[in-house]
Amino acid sequence: MQNPTSGLASPADFTSFMRQYQDMVFTTSARLVRNDAQAEDIAQEVFIKAYEHFDMLSTSPSAGGWLKTVATNLSLNHLQRYRNRWRFFSEMSAEDSSGGEATQVEFAAPDTFFAQMDAEEKRSIVDDAIAKLPDHQRIPLVLYHYEDVPYDEIARRLGVSLAKVKTDILRARAALAKILSRSGAHLESLSP
Amino acid sequence: MNPQDPDRLETSIHRILRSVPDRRAPAGLQGRVLAEIARRQALPWWRKSFAHWPAAVRALFFGGSAIVAALVVSGLLLVWYSSGAAGMAGASEPFAWIRAARDFLTSTNSSLHQVYAAIPRLWLFGAAAVIASLYALLGAISATAYRAISYARHTA
Repeated sequence: MQNPTSGLASPADFTSFMRQYQDMVFTTSARLVRNDAQAEDIAQEVFIKAYEHFDMLSTSPSAGGWLKTVATNLSLNHLQRYRNRWRFFSEMSAEDSSGGEATQVEFAAPDTFFAQMDAEEKRSIVDDAIAKLPDHQRIPLVLYHYEDVPYDEIARRLGVSLAKVKTDILRARAALAKILSRSGAHLESLSP
Repeated sequence: MNPQDPDRLETSIHRILRSVPDRRAPAGLQGRVLAEIARRQALPWWRKSFAHWPAAVRALFFGGSAIVAALVVSGLLLVWYSSGAAGMAGASEPFAWIRAARDFLTSTNSSLHQVYAAIPRLWLFGAAAVIASLYALLGAISATAYRAISYARHTA
């Protein structure tokens, strides 16, 4: 298999490169687009781009960051296209129920429910809770907490005001805490 | 923990989200990527994006495009000259082609204005109304279809 930029790239090298990063790339996309099939398509596109720049990435210590940025950008582009296509119709529907005042969070009593769970089960509970958030809360929340994108950059990339981003993230945290509490989790017990 | 304290809540949520491991990528992802790379590499150069064309072909393309553009402009000027709108004496002047091009654009513009003026106003307003109505109808049908599908999904 030939690398278009360098002549030769070992398939074994690229395969092991992929194996190292594929979970991170897929997870980044899946958290943003909330659809496994679309996340897989985006991950595929990310690695095809990575292959075109494999000369640089194979020796770069920031390859993971590069992949994460590309995965985030492609996911946001995908969401933007989808949002532009359906905004007119979806905004005719009722606003989401969590768009009102900040949710009053009620925390469950401490228990050992999560203590008996492994990391995979914990991940499943947290991912399900995030998936229940509406797009306008989930996307800025994911960008802020997982991708370390600052508020103003999120506002710029999503084309909304800074105040809206802060409000949406605040409400998303409250809603997330409520969903996790309902699932029997205590916030402190979920922490490492 | 005070649930109403936004800073504490932020810290707590941040710790929770960062503590969960990544999901496993689908087993077929690697195979799909390698197959797609192989498929793209098997394509002939002329079916790839311009950035992947050979350098010589790209240079040829630019040169060819410039020649075609020059031919088109020359052709248009020739047609204009042969129509007798400009005196042949003018062609020998330096930069006469600029004046010729300006005259050509002016005459085209006035022709379009004449066509526009010849169309009855009622026809224009009628056509605009029909287009607007069709557009609104398309929007209404699409919105109804979307809401019907969305409702069916929610109730499924």
